[in-house]
Amino acid sequence: MRLHQHITILSALIIILSAGDMCGQAVPGVDENIPYLMTFGKGGNETSWGDDDFSQTFFFTIPKEFKEPFFIRIYDPDVSGNTDEMNGYWDTRMLYSVFGGKGCYTFDKTSQGEDPVANYKSGVMLASRVFAVDAKYDEKWFTFGPFNPADGEYYKKWSAFIFKIVCDGIAGDDGNLYRYFLSKKADSNVPIEGANAFTHEYCFRMWNNNDTAYVSHIYPFIDSGCIYLKQKNFDWDNDGNFIVVSNVRKGQRQDISSEDNWIEGRFSIQPEEIGKSLDFRFYKRSDYLVRNNNVVISVENQYGEKLPFWSAPIGGVPVYKPKVKVIKIPPKK
Amino acid sequence: MKKTTAHITLLSLLLVALPVLLKAQNPFEVKPVPVISSNSDDIVSVVVKDGIYFCSNRKTNPFVTRKNLDGEKLYDLYYSSFGQGNEPGRPDLYSSELRGKYNVGPACISPDGKTLYFTRNYLPGKSKKIKGESDKYGIFIAHKNGKTWSKIEAFEYNDLKYRLAYPSVSQDGRYLYFSSDMEGTMGKSDIFVSENVNGKWSKPVNLGPSVNSSASEIYPFIHNSGRLYFSSDRQGGKGGLDIYYSAYSDGQWSKPFPMSEPVNSESDDFAFYSASADQSGYFSSDRRKKGDDDIYSFRSTIIRWNSCDQLQPNSYCYEFIEETALKNDSAEMEFKWEWDFDDGNKAEGITAVHCFEGPGSYYIQLNFVNKITGTIEKNQASYTLDITNVEQPFITAPDTISTGELAKFDASQSYLPGWQIANYYWNFDDETTGTGIDIMKKYARKGKFNIQLIISSVPDANGVVREACVCKNIIVIERNK
Repeated sequence: MRLHQHITILSALIIILSAGDMCGQAVPGVDENIPYLMTFGKGGNETSWGDDDFSQTFFFTIPKEFKEPFFIRIYDPDVSGNTDEMNGYWDTRMLYSVFGGKGCYTFDKTSQGEDPVANYKSGVMLASRVFAVDAKYDEKWFTFGPFNPADGEYYKKWSAFIFKIVCDGIAGDDGNLYRYFLSKKADSNVPIEGANAFTHEYCFRMWNNNDTAYVSHIYPFIDSGCIYLKQKNFDWDNDGNFIVVSNVRKGQRQDISSEDNWIEGRFSIQPEEIGKSLDFRFYKRSDYLVRNNNVVISVENQYGEKLPFWSAPIGGVPVYKPKVKVIKIPPKK
Repeated sequence: MKKTTAHITLLSLLLVALPVLLKAQNPFEVKPVPVISSNSDDIVSVVVKDGIYFCSNRKTNPFVTRKNLDGEKLYDLYYSSFGQGNEPGRPDLYSSELRGKYNVGPACISPDGKTLYFTRNYLPGKSKKIKGESDKYGIFIAHKNGKTWSKIEAFEYNDLKYRLAYPSVSQDGRYLYFSSDMEGTMGKSDIFVSENVNGKWSKPVNLGPSVNSSASEIYPFIHNSGRLYFSSDRQGGKGGLDIYYSAYSDGQWSKPFPMSEPVNSESDDFAFYSASADQSGYFSSDRRKKGDDDIYSFRSTIIRWNSCDQLQPNSYCYEFIEETALKNDSAEMEFKWEWDFDDGNKAEGITAVHCFEGPGSYYIQLNFVNKITGTIEKNQASYTLDITNVEQPFITAPDTISTGELAKFDASQSYLPGWQIANYYWNFDDETTGTGIDIMKKYARKGKFNIQLIISSVPDANGVVREACVCKNIIVIERNK
């Protein structure tokens, strides 16, 4: 218990200290270079398309000092048009729900939204809307709000209010590609200083390109006490390479999953990585193009606790720091 | 420019550029020591810290002449204390208790100063001479008792049939070298050695043909360095007795090599003694007057430093380590570590070893090659490596050469920043020296030689001259015939 308290305090300090540099309201984040979030309709119950549970949960953190109304905006929220992925014909409906209030994040483990079970919709619902085929929203923004920051769940260790947004594919079998933005304005994307976003399970679309220059990233944060991590990824279709980068890890290879499969990989955490973000880097394969590849990933520590992937990496994007030592070789006698 | 001037200039340049062939020079300065020499025969025995022991058949009483059975004047042991300037003073008869109607001749003293080994006749002067035999002598051992020598005992291998003489005991007191015509002698007289095993002297062993010859080998002197000096009238010398030396290595004695002139001369030169590694010492010679042995001192004119640094080879090889990767498991990394050494060479790996060609400033860059994309992340870490030579005089010379082979000894790689070099002095450890930045030289004999290079600077503003010395061993092997 004490260890967890320490972890909590450290996390709070780091997040507060790092907040000034953040612009984490775009989801996926700028540094992530991920084209879209991805949620399929659960009507087909087909996970091989790259969504293991037809639901995705994200959280927004708003610093307690911010007192103004804000908005949660969704890009291309419906399921039709050029962006989304059709299976047969457009028949899919998406339910977006915004939650605040006590317990929206901390009610229990299921309230963190890794899977759409039990209390994944905990808290007070502040807004909700269903989208189906609606050309009006193709490649356009829809806005929830305004919301009062104080309507979120106050999370003391981060000194922030937390809001949750859940996207459920409630019908049909098409793929919904979308983005979020936490904004000060209803009609444009104006970031809130110090705000950020995170998820405990990330389902996203890989680039439709077989150029290895298209590299996507996600950034789990490593708390103190972390000894090793276990990453799980789903339906990667063997599309390219997945490496872990940190200030002391240049690029450690991780296993990636095949079609409709989970795979796990475990790696130890170095002391120098504590209190910093890792960079999970995803390279597309170059020998042939895997199109419309949607993938899922999560990571947990040795206690089985899911780590958050932050849209704006805590402490900044990790950069490997080589250290050169030179030793003179004495001449042979 | 006139043609002649041009030729002179060109010639000068060539002379400067070409190595100098070593010229011979006298390695020793020799002078008589009149204060301990007389009109009689005076022979060096042993030199100790405070003085010199020698034997002489000089008269100590103008009215008495001491003679042996053959009518020859008897030798006695004398001692002369060193005085001002470390020069021998007026000698006195030493230890009259050793004296009798005998020749008391060349001697040596054990390292602890408690045992005296000396040469003496077997029979006193008035004893009946054995018919047809000349007077013979052996080695006797006296033990110090306070200020006098007592308990004189005969060396157990003395034999009235043979001569045993000129004892010389090794620094550790373990080996006794002497000259004898005892059984097993190859020439007129050979050098033998006996080993002290548990307080008992072993049966003497002839040093064999590598030292002894068909002529006489006498007056052995075993130096602290292990070098054995002796005198011989063998063929090929300067004349009469000459002083030779041989070194024991790898289980055998090296071929004896004669001391240079002017230690050796056309006259008899013998009874060599040096305490300080050939730098100075004494010997006897009748060069002044045939048949009249006098004592001479010698001093090496060769500069040789007692404390000369061993040449340190320059190293241009380095190991480069990327510590972050080395510390963490890098086995599954999707990157290659590429080192760019700024000399046209590259290497891959978390660690790399590279040898540069020579001194210089090198900007080492560490690049990462992404194995997935093939892209190179250039200069992710860098290190400026300044390579300099070791600050020292430097000897460039072969490690091994053959006798008679002309070899170059080069000091041009010396690295003495801030020095304005005035002189390069070479000591080749074979009693030859040279000056100049490079020298061509041959070795006449095989062996191991410790070459010294001494560099001196021009005086600075305060008149201070700086000097530095390095040494290097060279092996000279016998040339295949």
